[in-house]
Amino acid sequence: MDTSRDDIGIVIRSAFIKKGAQQRFSLFALIIFSIILIYVETIKSKPFDYFRSFIKDTIYRGSAVVSSPAKGIKFFSNSFREHIKVFEENSRLKEENKVLKEKKYYNSFLIVENNELKKIIDENQAVSSNLVTTRVILDKKSPYLNSFIIGSGSNKKIKNSMPALDGLNFIGRIVNVNFFSSRILLVTDLNSKIPVVIEPEGYNAILSGRGDSKPSLDYLPKNHTLKSGNKVYTSGKEGIFKPGIPIGEVILNNSTPLVNLASDINQITFVNIDLGSKNN
Amino acid sequence: MNVTFKKKNYGFVQLIPLFLLFFISLNGNSIIDLNYFSINIHYIFIYYWVLKRPQILGYGFIFLSGIVTDVIFAMPIGSNPLILLIIASFAAYIRVVTVRINLVSDWLSFIPVLIIANISHFIILYILNYPIEYLDFFVNSIFTFVSYPILWAIFEVLINITNINLHD
Repeated sequence: MDTSRDDIGIVIRSAFIKKGAQQRFSLFALIIFSIILIYVETIKSKPFDYFRSFIKDTIYRGSAVVSSPAKGIKFFSNSFREHIKVFEENSRLKEENKVLKEKKYYNSFLIVENNELKKIIDENQAVSSNLVTTRVILDKKSPYLNSFIIGSGSNKKIKNSMPALDGLNFIGRIVNVNFFSSRILLVTDLNSKIPVVIEPEGYNAILSGRGDSKPSLDYLPKNHTLKSGNKVYTSGKEGIFKPGIPIGEVILNNSTPLVNLASDINQITFVNIDLGSKNN
Repeated sequence: MNVTFKKKNYGFVQLIPLFLLFFISLNGNSIIDLNYFSINIHYIFIYYWVLKRPQILGYGFIFLSGIVTDVIFAMPIGSNPLILLIIASFAAYIRVVTVRINLVSDWLSFIPVLIIANISHFIILYILNYPIEYLDFFVNSIFTFVSYPILWAIFEVLINITNINLHD
């Protein structure tokens, strides 16, 4: 019995504690160090945050360099695909342009009328947004998080919870800010819950990410009369985002209403971060 | 002269698994996640190389690649190094107690390793209040286990091509 216990002891010592032929660290020491790191992750203090920001910035840059060949291939395959369907798209765009031209005159009339009405009810005029345009440096799909890493952080006055836009369409919000990089939590992520309003009925709902390209609409009124094609905008209810940022269109698929996003999340290279109004 | 050249060439060849380890971490390929298909390449990679050629993959490098994966996948820093080192510990233990290593014994011993790695991962996410997708965990475990022989064969070819011997 003693011999067998000794054998197990030798095996465990040899596998876990001894450093091995060409190992500089023992497994046991590194495991303890990992546990300490996990504990440190739960401590929120400025020096630790700075240290974490520094590590993340460095790794993001390294990752951007390493994944650049793959990005290049993706870029070329996308351009090739776009070239193939350019004729079809051209005729569609001509049709669309015709319709938009007709609508344009009507819209400009509505804008003027809207401004006049706002003056009448003494509401503050809409202030111009303060947008920062930045490049997406990493768009890795993780089973735990649908997110982008962008190449600007606290150096461009980006803060947590600021809305991220593709053009003028809402695609997500900032969840982590480093010195020179930030993470955007996309609306498609499971953790994403955005208060929205659906036009023309004006229903309020919560846009919940499902991990795929089409988020769902939750907490709708019981007898809603949603139709496919209804427009979804941010409602601005929680006071985090401005109201009226376009998100997408409703698709009625079985029982759960889904949203077809106005922007194709897989094709985004630059994003705009809304820093809030210049007047604030 | 000839001997010196061979030694230098060999040194470079030895770095290929290490290069691959950091490539999959930095490129965000630790977990290949398609619609109904998800494999954790990192787990298989660490398990195989620590089991077969421990002298090539230092534990310090495994730790660093785990940190990189944590940052890229927005996981709590320290979680992936811990899981990867647990896998490395089991691989080191199996290496010490096993006399003859072949695909079947490797593959079967990978089952408890995978279960313990996933339980550890689950506990860390649970303690730190991270969202847990049970179905993803299950699908990932199944496909990681099923894919082991394929990656085993690829790594065997790599070992044969690069001629990395156990006692070098």
